[in-house]
Amino acid sequence: MSRQGGQPRAIVPVGILLLVLLPLLLLPLGAMFVFAFSGGWSDFRAALQTPEAEFALRFSLLIAFATAAINALLGTFAAYVLTKFEFPGRGLLMTLINLPVAIPTVVVGTSLLLLWGPIGLIGRWLDPQGIQPMFAPAGVLLAHLFVTFPYLLGTVKPLMGELETTYEEAALTIGASRWQTFWHVILPGLRPAIFTGALLTFAHSLGEFGATVMVSGNLRLKTQTAPLYIYSQFETGNIAGANAVAAVLATVSFIIFVVVLGSLSPTRARQ
Amino acid sequence: MNLRRVRTVVRAMFPIVFMGALFLYALWPWLPFHDDTRTRRTIVFYGFSVLEAPIVERISPGFLKAWKDSTGESIDLRSSFAGSGTVTNQIITGVPAQLALLSLEPDADRLAEAGVVEPKSWRKLPHDGIVNRSPFVIVVRAGNPHGIRDFEDLARPGIRVVHPDPLTSGAASWSIVAEYGAGARAHPEDPQAGYRLLLGIWKNVVAQAASARAAMAQFENGFGDALVTYEVEALAGAHAGRPAFEVVYPRRTVLSEHPLVIVDRNIAAPDRAAVDALVRYLWSEEGQRAFVRANFRSVVDSLNRDNPRFGAIEDPFLVEAFGGWARAKADIVDGVWKGRVLEELGR
Repeated sequence: MSRQGGQPRAIVPVGILLLVLLPLLLLPLGAMFVFAFSGGWSDFRAALQTPEAEFALRFSLLIAFATAAINALLGTFAAYVLTKFEFPGRGLLMTLINLPVAIPTVVVGTSLLLLWGPIGLIGRWLDPQGIQPMFAPAGVLLAHLFVTFPYLLGTVKPLMGELETTYEEAALTIGASRWQTFWHVILPGLRPAIFTGALLTFAHSLGEFGATVMVSGNLRLKTQTAPLYIYSQFETGNIAGANAVAAVLATVSFIIFVVVLGSLSPTRARQ
Repeated sequence: MNLRRVRTVVRAMFPIVFMGALFLYALWPWLPFHDDTRTRRTIVFYGFSVLEAPIVERISPGFLKAWKDSTGESIDLRSSFAGSGTVTNQIITGVPAQLALLSLEPDADRLAEAGVVEPKSWRKLPHDGIVNRSPFVIVVRAGNPHGIRDFEDLARPGIRVVHPDPLTSGAASWSIVAEYGAGARAHPEDPQAGYRLLLGIWKNVVAQAASARAAMAQFENGFGDALVTYEVEALAGAHAGRPAFEVVYPRRTVLSEHPLVIVDRNIAAPDRAAVDALVRYLWSEEGQRAFVRANFRSVVDSLNRDNPRFGAIEDPFLVEAFGGWARAKADIVDGVWKGRVLEELGR
């Protein structure tokens, strides 16, 4: 900011940008906060303290933590395999893995239902066993893992490709196993990228709607995530209640993105 | 120099502290030092959209207290609400609903066709499975600026009508029967009267929402001049200090009837007693009175006098007047509305 402030005439392009962004981004966000606090601070707190709202927020956060943790492991492993090994079909696999970014999340939800649901390909065998992953927290987690998978890969894989291979080769030459090399040589360099990717995954999971609405069954106090709560409250006409939770989600996401951007800044990257 | 160090440390620590705090908040109720409410038994209840407030605010607390008083056990009622058609589809795809209160019998029939419940099993319950009723009425803006008095007025040119979508909403099917029936019963000598009124109204439909609740939300957000919906929904909308609406009672309209379906396959043996108790509670005097306070009309007519907000209807009719839902769906919804009205409108 201070660097740009020193440049001449920054005020014109910055002003134009703000004017463009005002109706696109800033005013809608502002409207949400205005409605969230339309009844004052005490109403805002009361809206957040209903059992349904509290549960929805907590459930969303727990799912987001689990999604970020599992995808941090899976994504790092996937990035490692896809960068370090040559094998037929690698390109195709890369494309498939990135597909969740492009296909509608509702389709993800439907496809999970058709696999794991009681009438699904695998689900119809599990159902008589009493195993029902769909319409349960496990189903929500599955959907979130699917939808957010590409984000961690996106931050880790480019860095993995850029890593100096000489250290790695040196480690292997002096007799380190592949695992030791990965743990002591490759992983330390990736830590900031994994951290950033995990936070992005977390934020996306927190806001996931399309796939969740298909697989969760939308049971209050059981499988209703915060975005589903917001939607159902809005539909019910409880605009203040919906916006109170929405404001919390937006604030948490905002802080996370500040952290992400901060961790990407040059000072952090050097550490 | 020192200050920079502090800033660096704070910057490095902040994400960890922030995420740690979030984690702690999220996990709080499940931490071991809380008395464990998570192992309580639960009943899973699904209902059509406008039931949300009556069930959550009145029926659920009343029943849970009655159960606690008689057995000493605290249990939980988990509920989910959406358009009746949506709820039906959710149950067919396998949501763990133990009880479902649907907006209309054809949705229960669909559950039977899908093998979820025995055909017509709900008819064995009290009142043929009907838990409560609600006449279909018209909601207009404060002061009734268009002077809407009856369904005929909705067919006037220039009136914008908000209507739920028959694909997902039970209220929409009821509305169609109400509109068709109002026309047919006003002119019993003319076999085309029902079709003409339905066509006139549907020419003016400007929005089709997924459920009665969603339609009310659209209307509240300023869309349209008139809304056709349940009386229970209209009275809730005209209440609670919202920008005032007015409820218009048509001279002739349908009384909707809402069947309860018990999904036996989702009820494990130990939960059976509690589920059955809830079923009995719904038809108990206390339960029916709770529905009346929530602006649903009781299946016990004498209880309806307790709610002074219920308006008078000259000629209320049931779907039986058109041969029950099996006939009404084939003749009116599919035959007249889908086959002729939508055809005529080119939708």
